[in-house]
This record gives sequence, C-alpha cells and structure tokens, in this order.
Amino acid sequence: MIGLKGTLNVIDNSGAIVAECIRVMSGARFARAGDEIVCVVKRARPINPSIAGTQAAAQKVKKGDVKHALVVRTKKEMRRPDGRYIRFDDNACILLNAKKEPLGTRVLGVVAAELRQKNWMKAASLAPRIV
Amino acid sequence: MKLEICSFSGYKIYPAKGKTYVRIDSRTFRFINGKAESYFLQRLNPRKVRWTTIYRRLNKKGITEEVAKKRSRKTVKHERAVAGTTWEAIRAKRNQKPDARAAARQAAIAKSKEAKKATAKKA
Repeated sequence: MIGLKGTLNVIDNSGAIVAECIRVMSGARFARAGDEIVCVVKRARPINPSIAGTQAAAQKVKKGDVKHALVVRTKKEMRRPDGRYIRFDDNACILLNAKKEPLGTRVLGVVAAELRQKNWMKAASLAPRIV
Repeated sequence: MKLEICSFSGYKIYPAKGKTYVRIDSRTFRFINGKAESYFLQRLNPRKVRWTTIYRRLNKKGITEEVAKKRSRKTVKHERAVAGTTWEAIRAKRNQKPDARAAARQAAIAKSKEAKKATAKKA
C-alpha cells in the first residue's frame, strides 16, 4: 500500500537508493506490488566521474529526479489466488524509463510474483528470485 | 495441494490459511495464524513455548513409553583366543567340573611336594 509520500527502497542498480511516491498511476489511492507509480529520487549514490566502465554507465539518476517506478515488494500483505497472504519486510521498487522498461540492468533482492501476473515480464526476468 | 508447516508452531497449514512472510534476506516463513506470527516477530524461541510441536518433541510430551524405548542397545560378547592358548583350551578350562578341578589341584600340590622333597634330599 504505497501512497503519496510513501518511501520505497530502490533495488536496481540505477543509482537511486530511496524514492518517494508522488502519484499512483492507476488512479487508485494506493499502489500494490506490480503497480506503476511516479516517484522522486530522495537519495542516490553519488555519481563519481572517476569511476569508469560499467559502473558509470549504470548510474543514471541523481537526487531530485522524477521517474516512473514499479512497486515490487510491499510490507502490506497481498492476497494470492490460492488464498494465501504474503508480505515482505520492506517496500521496494525499480525505476522505469519512458518506455516502461527497467532503467537499471540488475535487480537485487527478491520480488513479488505479482510482476508476472501484471505482465511486467522484463522486470521479472531481471529478478534473481521471485516469491 | 501441498501442506505447509508453520515455521513457529509446526502445525500443518492448509490452503487459504495463514500468512507467508518474506524477510529481506529472502528467507520465507509461514505462519498458521497471527499468534505464531506475533511470537516469531517478538523473536521468542519456539523451543521454550509450550504449545509448539518443537517444545513437545524436545520434552517428549505425548509420546507413549514403548515408542520411546523401541531400540535397546545390546552389546554382543565375542569369545576370542588369546596369544598363549587356543579357544578350545580356554573353553575346556572354563567348563571343567569343580571336582575335576580339585583333583587337578591336589595332583599339582602332590607333585610340587615331591619336587621339593627331591631337591631337599639332593641338598
């Protein structure tokens, strides 16, 4: 249940660390796992010009950037079709670009299976573990 | 239909019951109800909480005597020959009748007496 002002950990390698939700794209009040939101990057990894190669390429965002994001984990339990309820220990998201594709190249940590259900195939394929 | 077991209490979780909790380190825990979940999050040890299956198994509650004492350890003794004598000789000596033993002793005593007498005469 991520709403306005809700903070999420960013678990891809785009460079952002913490993002704050400013809009839930589906028009609802709260976003669940698998929903798209617009967020502001509140904390990001410092972009170091001296880092060369793949690391520099991956760091695409800085503090204050407004980006779309996809919620992948929520602390609020979500209901699965078999009646099971599942919840994670934190709220997490991955940043998206204008074409609704993941901004980063890697996802770190576990994501919810709702991504597959809601057709976020590219994001789900990057995830190391889906629960 | 796979029956899960509760990570805290050890009870069986049927479909549409209970909650699953995924920790940041990707470890999944299943709870049968809010009670088990609450105990778990308070970091209580199920081994010390009386109604859990772990406690009951550890303190052997509800298990009948025979099930507990199913296997008794029996050490089998093997008879073995020693360096000096064969196994037959050991057995023969052990199974000697007491009169036979007494007779043998008397014979040995008599023999040693004679030997002593002989040495005394010589000297």
